[in-house]
Amino acid sequence: MAAIGLPKTAEMNGGQKLAMKYFTVAIALFGAQVLFGMLAGLQYLNPDFLFGILDFSVNRTLHVNAMVVWLLFGFIGSVYWLLEDEAGVPIVGLGLANLIFWVFTLAVVVVVLVYLLVQVGPGEQSSIWLINEGREYIEAPRWADIGIVVCVLAFFYNVAATFMKGKFTNIGGVLVMDLVALAGIYLAGMYYTPNISMDQHWWWWVIHLWVEATWEVLVGCLMAYGLIKTMGVRRKIVETWLYIEVALMFGSGILGLGHHYFWIGTPEYWFTIGGFFSALEPIPLVAMVVHAVFDAGHHKLKSTNNPALAWIIAQAFGNFFGAGVWGFMHTLPQINLYTHGTQWTASHGHLAFFGAYATMVIAFLYIALQKWRGNVYMSGELIGAWKWKWAIFLLHAGMITMVMAMLISGYEQSQIERAIGGSDWMAYFAGQSHRWFMQGMFWRQIGGWVFTAGFVLLAWDLMTIGKRETRPALTVAAETAAA
Amino acid sequence: MSETHTQALWWASESFWRKMAIWVTAGSFVVLIFLTFDTVKQITAGTKRVPAYANALNHRIDYVFDEQRNFQVPVIGVEEPLFGKILTEEEAEALVSHGKLTTQAKNCMACHTLLGNGSYYAPDLTKSWLDQTWGSSAAREQAMVDFLMHPELAAHNSLGRRMPNLGITEDEARATVAFLKWMSSIDTNGFPANFKPIDQTDAAPVAAPAAVPAPAVEPASAQP
Amino acid sequence: MLEPVKLADFFTVFFSAASVIMFGATYALLFAWSRIGNRPRLMPLAYAAYVGLFASVIVLALAANLFNNTFWSVIVLLMLAGYLLAPHAIWHLCVGTHADKHDSAPIKVFQQR
Repeated sequence: MAAIGLPKTAEMNGGQKLAMKYFTVAIALFGAQVLFGMLAGLQYLNPDFLFGILDFSVNRTLHVNAMVVWLLFGFIGSVYWLLEDEAGVPIVGLGLANLIFWVFTLAVVVVVLVYLLVQVGPGEQSSIWLINEGREYIEAPRWADIGIVVCVLAFFYNVAATFMKGKFTNIGGVLVMDLVALAGIYLAGMYYTPNISMDQHWWWWVIHLWVEATWEVLVGCLMAYGLIKTMGVRRKIVETWLYIEVALMFGSGILGLGHHYFWIGTPEYWFTIGGFFSALEPIPLVAMVVHAVFDAGHHKLKSTNNPALAWIIAQAFGNFFGAGVWGFMHTLPQINLYTHGTQWTASHGHLAFFGAYATMVIAFLYIALQKWRGNVYMSGELIGAWKWKWAIFLLHAGMITMVMAMLISGYEQSQIERAIGGSDWMAYFAGQSHRWFMQGMFWRQIGGWVFTAGFVLLAWDLMTIGKRETRPALTVAAETAAA
Repeated sequence: MSETHTQALWWASESFWRKMAIWVTAGSFVVLIFLTFDTVKQITAGTKRVPAYANALNHRIDYVFDEQRNFQVPVIGVEEPLFGKILTEEEAEALVSHGKLTTQAKNCMACHTLLGNGSYYAPDLTKSWLDQTWGSSAAREQAMVDFLMHPELAAHNSLGRRMPNLGITEDEARATVAFLKWMSSIDTNGFPANFKPIDQTDAAPVAAPAAVPAPAVEPASAQP
Repeated sequence: MLEPVKLADFFTVFFSAASVIMFGATYALLFAWSRIGNRPRLMPLAYAAYVGLFASVIVLALAANLFNNTFWSVIVLLMLAGYLLAPHAIWHLCVGTHADKHDSAPIKVFQQR
């Protein structure tokens, strides 16, 4: 083995080399998400800031789209990372995979440039095909939608063909089935109708069934692999829990779609379905937290990769608080009538996306970097460990500040604008100019600065972790041989 | 799988949970498909919950409290054609569609919410057709068109938040107003609650647009 | 029929709903912890957390007018029963899935491939 701590691209397999490219773009887009989020936040405090140049709508679109795409790039990279290791054979169609990476990245760049420079078009079909579809989270124009489907199909081919050629582990099986669902569901968002109720009905299929079902399971697969790698948890246990998670997540999540169907024109029976499954949805999250703690206790927190383990634990808790607690607080229709479409939603969205997804991708980045540095030591008393520790602290402190600030603003908004004012124009601005709201937006921005500092530190740490380390990675005693 | 030993506890075994995962997922999905067929039927334009385009555009839309359902519901009232012109269903659908395309091409949802979904930088548009901000119901149509074409000129609020000029043409503005009028007729199970619609009772039978567009109203309760 | 929350009860709803989930997790964790470490002293605390959960569910149900309707009353009862039993089930699953061949497992050294 060559010297520890230096980049070892040559020693990695093809999928892992490709994964590093995906990870690089993912981090760049994470930075873009933070940047445009900060700009949009500043516009709440000073509406004239960049008015007419980069309006709130542009910044906000880039903020949420960068998030979706960086997480997707992170997921795809992570899957390519574990693919050869899981299947036990070299990737099938690696050339295609590399080509697709460049196509995908180029498409993202073009879409971003069009968002920035063209921004809006005339009210014709050509605009939604070429510029912007104008539908939250999936604003990407239709040509890019088709491109995304093609890229995901190629990705699916790589994954499925590799597992079929090698061995189909349980993680592999779940992953392949999940990718079928992921790609299939995206098609639901790719059509035009003048009927806004119908539009939003199918739009939620994409948003909810991605975020609260298929993404959760995808992250479950990454988590399963991560636990085997960092803590040496027995594969059989991890895979049984993966199936438990799939059963509970899909069992509560698929019909949990109902809690988005309260107010968009859909029938009243969704109140009961949405209410029932909303009460069920916290159970898998609690189960994951308990099992994580059980597992960690079992292994006495000994790991080969402390930063990754810290982010994995952050994921279990972040998912629990963001999706579980913050979700349940305003999901029953009796209260959702007043919180729907306020800063409440923003508060919940920030904590849930960060807690459930950003954390897992970051954990995986550390797993990958350990190997990239030649299986470098990443356990206790790592040289320069203050960086990852401060990054995790600042990112969480910033996020919690933002989320609490938006919670207070949303609480005020649900009362002044929604309940008292009846959500008309005057009521909206009465709510927006209330002291509580303004102070909430101010503190949200403070939280944003702290988060930004955390991001910068994280990026720096990812580039340098293990660089000055000469010790090889600790080995954990695996409970038993991998299946 | 290479692991062949059997687990003592069947309910904690991998194979049991694999089967559970498959059956639960498939079962939930089948139920969802079944419900989707019914929901799609109920939200197709031209039904009780989502009125036909012409029906909405040619008539007055109101938002009144329904004792039995315990929330406000849209009510289609007397004939009151948009821009004074009775439209056929085809014409109305084309107009609403042009308006919907405009809201997408201008990315309205990146600031506003529609049916409560979108962004939170600007007011919800679900019932914007019925908003008291437009002054009188007689002046409303032209006020909305003028506003959409030059939103940057209107003083919206004490915060200094403005809508940028998005290059909306007069045709697009009129189509957008049609889309908003139609959207206000959708039965949204009482969302938004406690909304106080514009007074439409003594509305003139339309035709001639008001000469002076109503200025946008300052919120009275804004705090410094 | 849905009866929306009264303005005065907004805070109660948010707080009690958050408490339901927090007490639920506390109950589940204390329950598991008590069993793992063989600390029977913790079990009363776990059930105390469940009592907190029970109270929170009732407060939530009153504030959100859930008892005014049969369906929502059933949901409340299901929550009370389900959240009582779920941590037991989770615990049994934790033990059950880890039980198999645990002590005799051969120790293998692991490194990333």
